[in-house]
Amino acid sequence: MKVRVISADHAVAYAAKIARTEVIPSFPITPQTLIVEQLAEFISNGELDADFIPADSEHSVMSIAIGASAGGVRVFTATSSQGLALMHEMLYCVPQNRLPIVMANVNRSLGAASGIWVEYNDSMAERDSGWLQLYVEDNQEALDATLMAFRLAEDRRVLLPVMICLDGFILSHTVEKVELPEQEEMDNFLPKYDPLNILDPADPKVINPIIPPEYAMEMRYQLDRAIEHSREVIVEVEKEFAKAFGRSYGGLIDTYRMEDAKFAMLTLGTATGLARRTVDEMRAEGKKAGLIKLRFMRPFPFKELCEATKDLKSLGVFDRSVSFNGGGPVHTEVAASLCNVPVTVTGHIAGIGGRDITPRHMRDMYDLVEKATKGEDVRKVTWHGLRGDME
Amino acid sequence: MFEVRFHGRGGQGAVMAAQTLAEAAVIEGRHAHAFPFFGAERRGAPVMAFARIDDEKISIKSQVYEPDLLVVLDESLIDIEPVARGLKKDGKAVVNTRKSPQEIDLGVEVECATVNANAIALEFLKAPIVNTAILGAVARITDLVSIGSMKQAIENRFGEKFGEAAARINIGAAEAAYEQASVGLCQGRRPLVIKREWLPDWRDIPIGNSLSAGIKDGVMVGPGGARQNLTGSWRMQTPHYDQEKCVRCLRCWFTCPEGCIKREDDDHVRWDLNYCKGCGICSQVCPVTAIDMIKGGSR
Amino acid sequence: MSTIKDMPRNDPFTSGHGACAGCGMAVAVKNIMRILGENTTVYVPASCLIVISAMYPTTNFRTPYLYTAFENTGAVITGIRAAQRRRGLSSTVVGLAGDGGTFDIGLQALSGAAERNEDVLYVCLDNEGYMNTGIQRSGATPFGAWTTTSPVGNVVKGKREFKKDLMAIIAAHDPPYAASLSIAHFNDFVKKVEKAKNKKGFRFLHVMTPCVPGWRSDPSMTVEISRLAVETGMWTLFEIEEGSSRTTYRPQTMLPVTDYLKLQGRFRHMENDDIAKLQDWLCRKWYIHYGHEAEQPVCAVFEKRKPMRTPQEEQLHFI
Repeated sequence: MKVRVISADHAVAYAAKIARTEVIPSFPITPQTLIVEQLAEFISNGELDADFIPADSEHSVMSIAIGASAGGVRVFTATSSQGLALMHEMLYCVPQNRLPIVMANVNRSLGAASGIWVEYNDSMAERDSGWLQLYVEDNQEALDATLMAFRLAEDRRVLLPVMICLDGFILSHTVEKVELPEQEEMDNFLPKYDPLNILDPADPKVINPIIPPEYAMEMRYQLDRAIEHSREVIVEVEKEFAKAFGRSYGGLIDTYRMEDAKFAMLTLGTATGLARRTVDEMRAEGKKAGLIKLRFMRPFPFKELCEATKDLKSLGVFDRSVSFNGGGPVHTEVAASLCNVPVTVTGHIAGIGGRDITPRHMRDMYDLVEKATKGEDVRKVTWHGLRGDME
Repeated sequence: MFEVRFHGRGGQGAVMAAQTLAEAAVIEGRHAHAFPFFGAERRGAPVMAFARIDDEKISIKSQVYEPDLLVVLDESLIDIEPVARGLKKDGKAVVNTRKSPQEIDLGVEVECATVNANAIALEFLKAPIVNTAILGAVARITDLVSIGSMKQAIENRFGEKFGEAAARINIGAAEAAYEQASVGLCQGRRPLVIKREWLPDWRDIPIGNSLSAGIKDGVMVGPGGARQNLTGSWRMQTPHYDQEKCVRCLRCWFTCPEGCIKREDDDHVRWDLNYCKGCGICSQVCPVTAIDMIKGGSR
Repeated sequence: MSTIKDMPRNDPFTSGHGACAGCGMAVAVKNIMRILGENTTVYVPASCLIVISAMYPTTNFRTPYLYTAFENTGAVITGIRAAQRRRGLSSTVVGLAGDGGTFDIGLQALSGAAERNEDVLYVCLDNEGYMNTGIQRSGATPFGAWTTTSPVGNVVKGKREFKKDLMAIIAAHDPPYAASLSIAHFNDFVKKVEKAKNKKGFRFLHVMTPCVPGWRSDPSMTVEISRLAVETGMWTLFEIEEGSSRTTYRPQTMLPVTDYLKLQGRFRHMENDDIAKLQDWLCRKWYIHYGHEAEQPVCAVFEKRKPMRTPQEEQLHFI
């Protein structure tokens, strides 16, 4: 183990390196580019034996990834925003074919009113694709989540692709202290990749022909169940990881000071750190605040959330993305999953288009959530940091 | 509600027939719809189309499983598919054949109109597109729509798509079939055997949309398994090979799209007619006219 | 392997596929697979070929087979080859794409694979249109042809643009091997597939595959139409090897294009003006490929007003 001060992009690249990734298709896009640059450097220095394939587009990146994964090797790639959107078509091919590709998506806003700054709309738009999807809070978690992603994806009980989502710039270009595991430690943690279905003339298989209606429905259900069953493996991998590396993240969700909490925020990504700080602040004021950190968006932690929120009076859900005219996507999913818990759920949208989220914004969210515990009327969805009154 | 199922081959115009029947019913002030079986079939492959007619607006969009009327545009389909499956006991049938109704065995004994739509189509359209001729016979055997409305519907649909002259010719074909159709009881002796299929529960489907070659529930699956599709049933003409003339150039072997021409050790050839679709390329490329195409299909 | 007689007898692409009777693409695929053999891995993008040969739970290919989407043949075969090389497999990785998937939507991924000189074989099965979706025009559709999106109306009759010169684009990538093939020129076909199989690096084969419903032709005439395409200059047999190009078959005399057009309903509407325009285009193409030595009688009109080309233009069209 060594300690370095590096960016999350660097940390993710390092994880892909010690996972002994074999094929890395790539295409540059800010703020992901540092990842593939770093990997190209590892390869050109002889530190990593992998095929680095500079593709003509992100669509081709995911196509190459599919070909290589179906060819039976470990594949990693990274993208952002428009790049992820360009992959959209190919993303859907991966889970159904059960190809355990690992990809980092460095979150960045998407579409018109576009910029290069963080927003989760890019990855949220892909949550129906069948990829396992998780969000990280800091550079260490970016590294650790990537390491775990390989083991999770390749587990025969899972065999699903994993998308690690990390905040553009706030993580990708911020350096902080990161503990880097040694190659040997990783080799002990991650078994050699043993693919299930591969394209090999010695044992010819057809993969993904046209699927007529007589079969498609059963296949979709099978995939839906595979995602469901990945929960147990996530918990198991977390435990194994803690044993090997001494760090753990709580599984599908993590909680902070929730034991006797009366109100809480649910956050994901880097806003979680700010929320943790706010909880401490409110606790010091004698207010029973708590925090739920959503790690996995898929599989969605239905049971875990029901359990974590059962004694709450009020829950605020943070979203760094907008499902236009539908609030935030995390908010709607959380609200739908808590049907049996008598808790007031409100949505809190902030940090849109890379707008900085300040401690004040987070405190405002908590104040509103606390207000709801007193039976006061709180807007269902509040945009924090917006100029002008909300309609 | 009156439900109709059409069985034909890709290229015969089964879908157009269903649409035209629906339009004829609408002309008579009723409600109707028509749609194809949404497959990916090619010219010559068995296809289906459906139509429904009612006095009310039709809300059901499912396929037709228990038709009141069965329309068979290609007689050879009767031997390869259970076309009459689900046909109501008091239903009716129309078959394109030169035979009489009494000579046809659909597997369900019903009132049946037979008409040699092939001959009519060749006479009027100079092509084996039998859909309008068959509609003449439909008008004859059912009181679903009048021959007048049927003609109007043909004019509307064909005129719009192919021009006035084409519409006139097609109306002529329908009229001729209306006159020439013979009506009687067909036979109901043939067992309606359902094609064997592998339809596993979701747990039993190999994961990853992937299969190795093998047999499941009696059917081939995986790489190469498509050879169980005996496409020779599409054939309308059959190659006749004169080995004496053959110069063993292998042009036919090379150019057969089906791979149904087999190469002997001495480079003479033989046909696996289970797959021959009767395209006639072999005959065309043969430099010594050792291959003739003889009219007639697999049976 | 240089003649039909040398070809293996077994069929890695089996009978029982769903192609129309007389399908030119089926002829091409069957023979390509015979020559490539069973140590081959096949990728097919969205096309007629996937529909006629790979409907779950079966395929007609006895080899490994993958399908994913329409526009990514160059990319997916890149990935497969990279993985197989790492696993120590020697199999030929082949992408069998249509003209839509190659000339149009797949051009970018194709260019990427060619530029990186991936060790793969890319085959374009060119039936000059989007036939799988019901006969729409593509960049490969020839001038004048009817398709459902270049219909014959009162004002505009058929496609107004000439066929894209795909091989010039391929040649610009300087591949180790590229060749155009015809299913009517059997031994030439065999030699080129064999050559492509044995070369290393990016290899490209362009095969003309007549389409019975799309070209409105008689099923038995598929091979004859391919032959006439070469004799009229609508298709040229040549190969590009390590930077230099040569024609592999030269017709005795150029036949008038009408010999080719008259066998196909898609050209039936063509009037004299358009036929002359197409003939002009063909004459220009003919001299580019075969040189100016022998003047062609059918090009007499064209000869009189033959445009002068600059050396740069000659170079651009060196194939």
